[in-house]
Amino acid sequence: MWEPINKDLLGGAQETRKSLTYWQDVWRRLRQNIMAMTGLIMIITIALLAVFGPMFSGFTYSEQNTALANIAPNIELTSIGDGDYVFVHNDYKLINATSEGELLGAPEIIEDNKTAKFILYNINGKEVKFDYSIAQKARTKGSKVTETNSDMKTKYDIYVDGQLIDKYDVQSIWNKTYLLGTDNLGRDVWTRVLYGARISLTVGLVASVVNLFIGVLYGGIAGYEGGKVDNIMMRIVDIINSVPLLLIVILLMVVIEPGLQTIILTIGLVYWVGMARLVRGQVLSLKEQEFVLAARALGVSKAKIVIKHLIPNAIGPIVVSMMMSIPSAIFTEAFLSFIGLGVSAPEASWGTLANDALGGIRSYPYQLIVPSVAIALTMFAFNFLGDGLRDALDPRLRK
Amino acid sequence: MSRYIAKRLVSMVITLLIISSLTFSIMHSIPGSPFTKDRALLPEIEAALMEKYGLDDPLWEQYLNYLGDFIQGDLGVSMQKIGVSVNDMINQGLPVSAKVGSIAVIVILALGIPIGMISALKQNSIIDHIVMFIATIGIAVPSFVVGTFIMYIFGEKLRLIPAGGLDGPSSYIGPVIALAGFSLAYVTRLMRSTMLEVLRQDYIRTAKANGLSQLRVIGKHALKNALIPVITYVGPMVASILTGSFVIEKIFALPGIGKYFTESVTNRDYTVIMSITLFYAAIYIFMVLLVDIAYAFIDPRIKLDD
Repeated sequence: MWEPINKDLLGGAQETRKSLTYWQDVWRRLRQNIMAMTGLIMIITIALLAVFGPMFSGFTYSEQNTALANIAPNIELTSIGDGDYVFVHNDYKLINATSEGELLGAPEIIEDNKTAKFILYNINGKEVKFDYSIAQKARTKGSKVTETNSDMKTKYDIYVDGQLIDKYDVQSIWNKTYLLGTDNLGRDVWTRVLYGARISLTVGLVASVVNLFIGVLYGGIAGYEGGKVDNIMMRIVDIINSVPLLLIVILLMVVIEPGLQTIILTIGLVYWVGMARLVRGQVLSLKEQEFVLAARALGVSKAKIVIKHLIPNAIGPIVVSMMMSIPSAIFTEAFLSFIGLGVSAPEASWGTLANDALGGIRSYPYQLIVPSVAIALTMFAFNFLGDGLRDALDPRLRK
Repeated sequence: MSRYIAKRLVSMVITLLIISSLTFSIMHSIPGSPFTKDRALLPEIEAALMEKYGLDDPLWEQYLNYLGDFIQGDLGVSMQKIGVSVNDMINQGLPVSAKVGSIAVIVILALGIPIGMISALKQNSIIDHIVMFIATIGIAVPSFVVGTFIMYIFGEKLRLIPAGGLDGPSSYIGPVIALAGFSLAYVTRLMRSTMLEVLRQDYIRTAKANGLSQLRVIGKHALKNALIPVITYVGPMVASILTGSFVIEKIFALPGIGKYFTESVTNRDYTVIMSITLFYAAIYIFMVLLVDIAYAFIDPRIKLDD
């Protein structure tokens, strides 16, 4: 009636699921989240571009060419015959270009007559007269040169060897020499944005690391200990938060060399207080819950309760706050640079690039848009990753 | 509770003392004085000025003098703006900053909390994605860029708002948007994130299982528990928004207090630095105390008296 079971059927066939550690499990869940992985890939790309990009852009961040200043990424070329093209700059001057959109530089000037308002150029043996007196004439007549006024769409005329050419025969083309245009000193915006990424990302990274390690632990300890310890720790936070940041920065600059390290040190000193307050608030409420009581009853040490039980339960607000600390650190750096306390010219960060572009926003909006888009893209990437991380780290979703 | 508040008020005074002495010593240990100018003053004139403002006294005496005057409500005179007392500066600048700031705070709370909640309740819906997209832009675009664009588009192109100053309701639109933008996005995101966390809790399931209406579950049980991180952020935020922002006051040409403060630091205007720092610190510490008291009201499990 009973017979021994075949040994082959007993073992081997049934494999148990491999047990995963907490971090393996987090990584497994993060990998399944498409948005989070997109964010991660974006961040890696931006970081790689920041490190290696400036080497391949063909320009250095400080290389100036004032003859080619303030040229937009998208330029309009006017043909002047024989395969020669010119780009009419907003500053009423001509720049020689190829039909491909490569800028050849400012042509040779024969005569620059400021009273009659024309410039004579010599472009490949042709005498090109750039007459910008129309705007002046229109203004004296009391009318304005506008796009809607059909016979006065542009404020200039171009004569090639005495012949008026069709100034409306323009083609819009991408600037091949300077992919994202040039700034007011003729520096390549693309190179400067890539270079600026180094400083801005460093500042953002420092802020988030400081937030995570100092802020979260400090707030966790203060909240869990409560009472006197909490009171003293939080009053220290109040003091750090109230002593003016500017004074601290100026003092640090006296002690150490001004520059990036001053800003990093300042951010390290002050940027964790908001996070500490946030985590403390969460822990105050969490520590009264049953699972903490259970952990205490089981004899789990204080450090382990804070790190393993309380902080993971507050991970949502922690991640949100950490993501927010990145742009606000980038803007703090910009503000400090703006009032002359940060990185000094010609070094660049996204904040200083945006700041420098503010003055020329009417004529050269691209100079502001480029660094703003860079900041926004980085923020989107960090947010995607942050949202994914929050879900992946949440102990309640663990299977 | 009242014992706790009394204790906290005492520690508030001590904190303010520490802040004032720290600020005072940092301020005096950085090089330069209020009279360091591009053109050097004659030594006699500088000595006379130092004497007039009491800067030739030993530092501890200057500190005690300042504190003595401060307690009596005399904040001293500015060392840069001749003949202007710091009391006048605060009296003129604060109402402007506070008016714009309080509207911004109301906008942040009235929009941020409900939008964050809706976004959490409709997680992964179109509304949620749109809200999160706008909120991310609100965080990613710095306030000085927002301010400049508003000024350029609505002030100069469309001429809907005046080019600066504060006359009429329309002039508040620009500064309020620029001032509220970042915090509004922050509060919305924080609210959404904590709300999502709370909605997963067992007590929400219990409340639903007990047959409570959706409104009651959300309004009474979920909202209260989700508010803790938000009010933690909002408390100090109110202090910093009410005391003005240098950048925004500069863009919109507002005669607020934020501008005075940044200028005073770069000019080493000692009396102004001290007064505005202490003033800000007092508001800030008071807001932090309010937050701690609010914790106990929102979540009865939090005990303040231990």
